[in-house]
Amino acid sequence: MAPKKDAKAAPARKPSLQSAAPAPAPEPDVVAAPPALDLSKVKVEFTPDQHEDYKEAFGLFDRVGDSKVAYNQVADIMRALGQNPTNKEVRKVLGNPSDEDMAAKRLEFEAFLPMLQHIVNDPNKGTFDDYVEGLRVFDKEGNGTVMGAELRIVLGTLGEKMSEAEIDGLMQGQEDENGSINFEAFVKHIMSI
Amino acid sequence: MSEADKFLYRDSGKVANPLDQADWATKKLVWIPSETLGFVAGSVKEEKGEECLVELADTGKKVTVNKDDIQKMNPPKFSKVEDMAELTCLNEASVLHNLKDRYYSGLIYTYSGLFCVVINPYKYLPIYSENIIEMYKGKKRHEMPPHIYAITDNAYRSMMQDREDQSILCTGESGAGKTENTKKVIQYLAHVASSFKSKKDQGELEKQLLQANPILEAFGNGKTVKNDNSSRFGKFIRINFDVNGYIVGANIETYLLEKSRAIRQAKDERAFHIFYYMLTGAGDKMRSELCLEDYKNYRFLTHGNVTIPGQQDRDLFVETMDAFNIMSIPEEERIGLLKTVSAVLQLGNMSFKKERNSDQASMPDDTAAQKVCHLLGMNVTDFTRAILSPRIKVGRDYVQKAQTQEQAEFAVEALAKASYERMFRWLVMRINKALDKTKRQGASFIGILDIAGFEIFELNSFEQLCINYTNEKLQQLFNHTMFVLEQEEYQREGIEWSFIDFGLDLQPCIDLIEKHASPPGVLALLDEECWFPKATDKSFVEKVVQEQGNNPKFQKPKKLKDSADFCIIHYAGKVDYKADEWLMKNMDPLNDNVATLLNQSTDKFVSELWRDVDRIVGLDKVAGMSDGGMHGATKIRKGMFRTVGQLYKEQLSNLMTTLRNTNPNFVRCIIPNHEKKAGKLEPHLVLEQLRCNGVLEGIRICRQGFPNRIVFQEFRQRYEILTPNAIPKGFMDGKQACVLMIKALELDSNLFRIGQSKVFFRAGVLAHLEEERDIKITDIIISFQSWCRGYVARKAFTKRQQQLTAMKVIQRNCAAYLKLRNWQWWRLFTKVKPLLQVTRQEEEMQAREDELEKTKERQQQAEEQLQEFEAKQQQLNAEKLALQEQLQAETELCAEAEEMRSKLATRKQELEEILHDLESRVEEEEERVTHLQKLKNKHEAMITDLEGRWTVDIQ
Repeated sequence: MAPKKDAKAAPARKPSLQSAAPAPAPEPDVVAAPPALDLSKVKVEFTPDQHEDYKEAFGLFDRVGDSKVAYNQVADIMRALGQNPTNKEVRKVLGNPSDEDMAAKRLEFEAFLPMLQHIVNDPNKGTFDDYVEGLRVFDKEGNGTVMGAELRIVLGTLGEKMSEAEIDGLMQGQEDENGSINFEAFVKHIMSI
Repeated sequence: MSEADKFLYRDSGKVANPLDQADWATKKLVWIPSETLGFVAGSVKEEKGEECLVELADTGKKVTVNKDDIQKMNPPKFSKVEDMAELTCLNEASVLHNLKDRYYSGLIYTYSGLFCVVINPYKYLPIYSENIIEMYKGKKRHEMPPHIYAITDNAYRSMMQDREDQSILCTGESGAGKTENTKKVIQYLAHVASSFKSKKDQGELEKQLLQANPILEAFGNGKTVKNDNSSRFGKFIRINFDVNGYIVGANIETYLLEKSRAIRQAKDERAFHIFYYMLTGAGDKMRSELCLEDYKNYRFLTHGNVTIPGQQDRDLFVETMDAFNIMSIPEEERIGLLKTVSAVLQLGNMSFKKERNSDQASMPDDTAAQKVCHLLGMNVTDFTRAILSPRIKVGRDYVQKAQTQEQAEFAVEALAKASYERMFRWLVMRINKALDKTKRQGASFIGILDIAGFEIFELNSFEQLCINYTNEKLQQLFNHTMFVLEQEEYQREGIEWSFIDFGLDLQPCIDLIEKHASPPGVLALLDEECWFPKATDKSFVEKVVQEQGNNPKFQKPKKLKDSADFCIIHYAGKVDYKADEWLMKNMDPLNDNVATLLNQSTDKFVSELWRDVDRIVGLDKVAGMSDGGMHGATKIRKGMFRTVGQLYKEQLSNLMTTLRNTNPNFVRCIIPNHEKKAGKLEPHLVLEQLRCNGVLEGIRICRQGFPNRIVFQEFRQRYEILTPNAIPKGFMDGKQACVLMIKALELDSNLFRIGQSKVFFRAGVLAHLEEERDIKITDIIISFQSWCRGYVARKAFTKRQQQLTAMKVIQRNCAAYLKLRNWQWWRLFTKVKPLLQVTRQEEEMQAREDELEKTKERQQQAEEQLQEFEAKQQQLNAEKLALQEQLQAETELCAEAEEMRSKLATRKQELEEILHDLESRVEEEEERVTHLQKLKNKHEAMITDLEGRWTVDIQ
């Protein structure tokens, strides 16, 4: 079984999405949170096959056996299904839960689907060129490479900071004998899976 | 080396720390004023009209600040920049912060445009060794971290290249390190410009140049509250170079010696060092020769023997004397100098009393006077009379006029000060003579100015006016230089921008002080007032107010009770002046009777000191004022005498003329605290100095133009990310690319200019670009991180799926086995299986049959092959037979031929024998022929003989 990339193929219905009216925040204790998303307006449009596949994948993440997954696994499932949402987007579709809720709360498949649909409808628009240009900023020598160590620091300290483990998984076998990385090839590789 | 690097280079790792960068962009950091720290960092939380809610970065407290009080913070890219002109947010807070940051990291030198700012480290730094000098030699300013050596080297190279005279102007408060830096300049020049190439064997001239300082310091420096070794005079050292860049001589000019220090010192301060060196260090013989006494006996040493921690006056005395040696100043001159110093001290011990029945002064004890006269080579009686009842010109006649106690005391003090000053001036002259003895022609020079900076006390006097006036002029020079350079840069880059000459900004204030007439300036008015018999300090103030009252740079004190007499708005700020004693200070009167005596002294040295006494303002002239104009004829003709103000103005104007003809380099010294403590920086103290020394003024000027400049390539590299698709792929000229980029950025046309090689920006624009760039990069990074996370998650997912598949296979097999395990037949089968060989016979048969079949097939094949081979063999045999027959025939033919050959051989034999016979016969015949020939010859000879005989016979 290959990872599901075909989720993108689902017909996108952006207009209906962006007009999604901000609903009252379900958790008023969250300060300055962006307006919560009304998922009930999202129309789930996956094919029965996709539905099947997703369910199976979803099941793979259930470690308890209640046919649910923890909130903090949702991002990984979406990614496994071929999406590349930011953590912020995932939190948004989850209704901006607190850190404790992320670990404690669990989600069932039927509630997961509209969230996935929302992410599918508004995919990560970053392009190969964007990333190459972005990484070029850290190219001190101007020769198309960055030091692996530098890249680790960038990814671990900037933006949505990545954990040591995530970075290790990412960088495995990417550095050459000098510890540098050809970032065009790197980006291409990352975007190929 | 690495030890020194710490104090030169900023920590490059920290500069690009992405964390700081992210912090700055997200938190909207700014500077807000603070009472204690100057400025503190905070992040803007909310903006409401004119006010902002700011959260302080370190305490987390929230305060409301007026928008105008907020100063923008520079992006972390600019952290600890070496040249503050590069800062995009040019404001006081950022300048202070940058200097502080650098200072705390041990980096004491920082550029600010044309300025080199240096903060006194108050500790030894390993950045002045010969290695470091070598490092800076021949390097351009931007190639090396900021250093006084870089400034010096720059000046030296420009002098060599452009053949233009150079000057290095060090100014700053007392204790800021002007003199130390001046010494470093000289050290550097003595090192790189010495004609002696080996380091050990420094030339005599270079040695003397370096030794001039200890001497000047011994006589011209003293301990003050702020500074243990404070220069109490300004100086301009001119080092001359020949065409090859070697030092050929030097000249020192001094300014504004604080001579009052010789007679009076504030608490915790000392008189000039030499007093203490001499009193502590002189041997017994010298002590008696110089009539030295114990510290406590001298009234002029107000606080007795004040010592400086860590400084041995005795050793320094020896050192000073050694320096004299190196300078080749002979013994008798040295004694002459010290005698004068001792005499100055003795003058302080002369005490006067008021006579009982008159106002006249008397001197009950003349021991001190005797000592003075002994030291200075005068007659005691003459001297006493000159002090107590000098001859004064009244109308056309001279009369003896008795002096009051105050007058006598004033006269002695004036004499002491004048003696010390003349001695100091002579010393400088003598040093100059020593430094100028080479015959080589100087081609150009580097001048080093070491002069006090702006002084603003609560109340300021004539001395402050002089020094502030000087600084006003120097600042004008700076502003003008900057203006010229900026103008040049703009022209070079082809940018249309008309600058205002900032030098002119200062002109009104300078006019207020120095203008001659219409309206006359403060100095001119003071001079004028000095010639009026009835004038007082008060009348002088009235006149100034009357003449200059409308000058915008002039202010009358607002309240009557204000103790100041008038204020001048200098560029550095408003200064309150108190005019007490100005007339006296300006005239600097002296008892001319005594001056004449000194002029005629039996001591050659003393009489030389007092060579010119004709232009002294005599005491009698001053007397006119205090007596309320009793002698109507004492009005002094203008121009006959020179006032202090006049002399100084002239000296300054000469200096300015010299400086204007040089290419100036500006060094600004800053004192970080008043406790002489290392590693401590008082923000307000430093800010005040930055204001006074023109650094902030320079920044103000910068801001009017386009202070940030980036070369095209760098601009493109750094900010191209902000303008995706603006530049077409492939090669593009730098300028064209920048034009396109700026167009895409939609910047206001007043915010930038595009030159020939650089883009010019108004202050703050880069900060804005930097911010956008950060946001953009962060966006991209977040998006990329999401992809990366997706990648990692999918990889993990694939693995998990594979694991799942594998698991399923194993599961299925296990399940199958479990089911089978309990099936009876299976169990039976497994039990019986080892016994059931039979069951396999059929299989075996089958195998055998298969084998047989295969063997048969193989046999068939072999037979076929055999037949084939046999046929082939037959064929070959036939061929062989044929060949044999052929061989037979050939052999027969061969035998026949052989037979024939032997027959022919026998025949040949026979014929050869015949040939032989015939040959022997030929030989025989030939022998016979020879024989016959001989016979014939013989006969012929006989015939000839006979014929001869015959003819003879006939005859």
